[in-house]
Amino acid sequence: MPLDIVTRYARKAYTNFATHIYDSPSRMLALLGLLVLIVLPYGGFTLNNVDTVFVYASLMAILAASWDLLVGRTGQISLGHAIFYGFGSYSVAFLYKYVGWPYWITIPLSMLAGAGIALIAGIPSLRLKGPYLAMVTMALPLVAQGVLVQYRDILGGDAGIKGIPMIFSLKDFGGDNGNYYRAYYYAAFAFMVVSVIIIYKLATSKTGIVFISILDDELSSKACGINVTKYKLMSFVVSGLFGALSGSLAVYLRFGSAMFTDFEFVNFSFTPILVTIIGGIGTIYGPIVGVYLYSVLANYIFGKVLNIEKMFPYNIGGYAKALIFAIVVLFFVVKWPRGIARAIVDKLEDLQEPREIEEIEKKKAKKAKKG
Amino acid sequence: MLETIIVSGTIAGLFYAFIALGFNLIYGVSGMVNMAHGVLVMIGAYIYGLLFLMYFPDWRAIPDWKIPDPSIPFLIIILSCIIVMVIGTAFYRLALHYILGNEVSILIASICGCIIIGRALNIYLAQAGFAMYNTQLFSLHPPINPEWTRISIPGIYTTSERVSTSTILAVEVALACFAILAVFITKTKTGRAMKALSQDLEAAILMGINAEKLFMLTTALSSFFACLAGIFYFSSLVGLSGSVAPWSWLECLGYSFAVVILGGLGSLKGTVLSGLIIGYVQYYLLNARIISTDLGNAVPFAIIALMLLIRPKGLFGKRVEME
Repeated sequence: MPLDIVTRYARKAYTNFATHIYDSPSRMLALLGLLVLIVLPYGGFTLNNVDTVFVYASLMAILAASWDLLVGRTGQISLGHAIFYGFGSYSVAFLYKYVGWPYWITIPLSMLAGAGIALIAGIPSLRLKGPYLAMVTMALPLVAQGVLVQYRDILGGDAGIKGIPMIFSLKDFGGDNGNYYRAYYYAAFAFMVVSVIIIYKLATSKTGIVFISILDDELSSKACGINVTKYKLMSFVVSGLFGALSGSLAVYLRFGSAMFTDFEFVNFSFTPILVTIIGGIGTIYGPIVGVYLYSVLANYIFGKVLNIEKMFPYNIGGYAKALIFAIVVLFFVVKWPRGIARAIVDKLEDLQEPREIEEIEKKKAKKAKKG
Repeated sequence: MLETIIVSGTIAGLFYAFIALGFNLIYGVSGMVNMAHGVLVMIGAYIYGLLFLMYFPDWRAIPDWKIPDPSIPFLIIILSCIIVMVIGTAFYRLALHYILGNEVSILIASICGCIIIGRALNIYLAQAGFAMYNTQLFSLHPPINPEWTRISIPGIYTTSERVSTSTILAVEVALACFAILAVFITKTKTGRAMKALSQDLEAAILMGINAEKLFMLTTALSSFFACLAGIFYFSSLVGLSGSVAPWSWLECLGYSFAVVILGGLGSLKGTVLSGLIIGYVQYYLLNARIISTDLGNAVPFAIIALMLLIRPKGLFGKRVEME
């Protein structure tokens, strides 16, 4: 009977919810946040900001989560994550322009391309550590920009590749602006949720534990019989995969073009670091909290309330924004390296503990009465 | 062509070693990778240029302009060195000091420092009327009135390559700095204490060396060398006068890293020699037209990659933290 199956699954879902989510305040909070983000497009905010605040936040969340997997979980510091982002967007644009393939082929292919470039970028990581790896990864986007300028006639030079059709067009929604923007919001949001869940599952799986062991002590993990080479490269490849996804989605959901500035340092290498540090490095969920805080602060507070970009001429507002956020990150690194999200989760779990102990004591008391 | 390679390569190589000097010093003594070194080099050149413009507001408008009073540029150099030393030391004391020993945090914090100092400079320049990012490129007058000369060994040989007198002065300053640092490290008590710190931190502390104070001193010294290197590198690399751009810090950082990786950690001899090697290789590749001028700044990165594949220890290093 179909009804039977439905009730069985419903019961199973309810039990799962009750045991895994309802009992844990931090997970309830996460669920609440998710629900808020789902109903948000129907709320009172202006839909014109969907693109610059929320689609941006979703894409940056994917990039930042992939950075966190690589750096926070595996300890291979990368200061050039823009290479994956830019590579994703350029491969999509290139495939569209010269082969004409639609988005559902080019996005997976761009992810594969990102994984490939990550494999190449990861090879130095086998011999390099810490600052040296940071320097090499930092140089990669510059090399990519050099290549773009060198092969100007194919890759478009510093003008980028323009004119890639976006996923949705206004006609599909009968000219309804609201639904049109909501479609972009939900598409980016769905991609974000799915990829963050995948990254989080990987990070908390057995493989993720191996990553942490490499972060803690590479030599000891090697001595324990772990194939360090494989796992280091794996971390790079997964990171590159999702970095490229973020870049390719940016072409289809935000700009409709691959831009030279996709390889820029401050926007696409430093911002993932910024949001991860604010949220809490090494947590995977930290960057998501950080990215929403960052994008809302940067766009609403600096953009709408203070109107910083209009207030000062000559892009001083833009520089000031970067300056202020760099100071914020410096403060977090020096004084509060745990980050906001991890602090909240720890606090909630501290709250949870006494209740559990009470329950256990109650159960013991019941048993004692029965006995 | 050989002559060009030798003359230009030597000059450029000594400049690269000069840029990397402070970076290598602080890395060797405290084990701290100060990514803000590149930005300190850049900001040194900018402060020099801005102060120069303050004293001689219209030098750029007049062709063949000469410095009327030769002592003022040197006062400006001293002043800008003091400013950069204050910036570098303050950044160390306020931020890096608290996270000493945590590699990832140091890297991220010093990258933040780069962005803070760089953006503050951008804001200042935009305020001062150098409006857009791309036009914030700043031309610098060398500290002396430059003239073309030829390097010659009297009576034996004169090169056909023309060199500016300001470039020769810069090379002399660089050599003097290397000599001063070598004497300071080996002969004075403070320098020996620094060497002890770089060899074994805990043992040195147990022997009664004040590590905190010495790290501060090292940072100040490294910022001082960064500022001098920036002023002389950017004011006189090519032709009679040079220029500095807001994105130059990355180039400086790249050269610093290349020199340290090639020459090994904490070795003055290695720094100078590896700087020279990079200079010769770069000018060979440029002169033989193997690479175009655009890719000239990619040479240090290529050398880093090659070096790491062949000999990760560096040429003269005692210990570089790599497998």
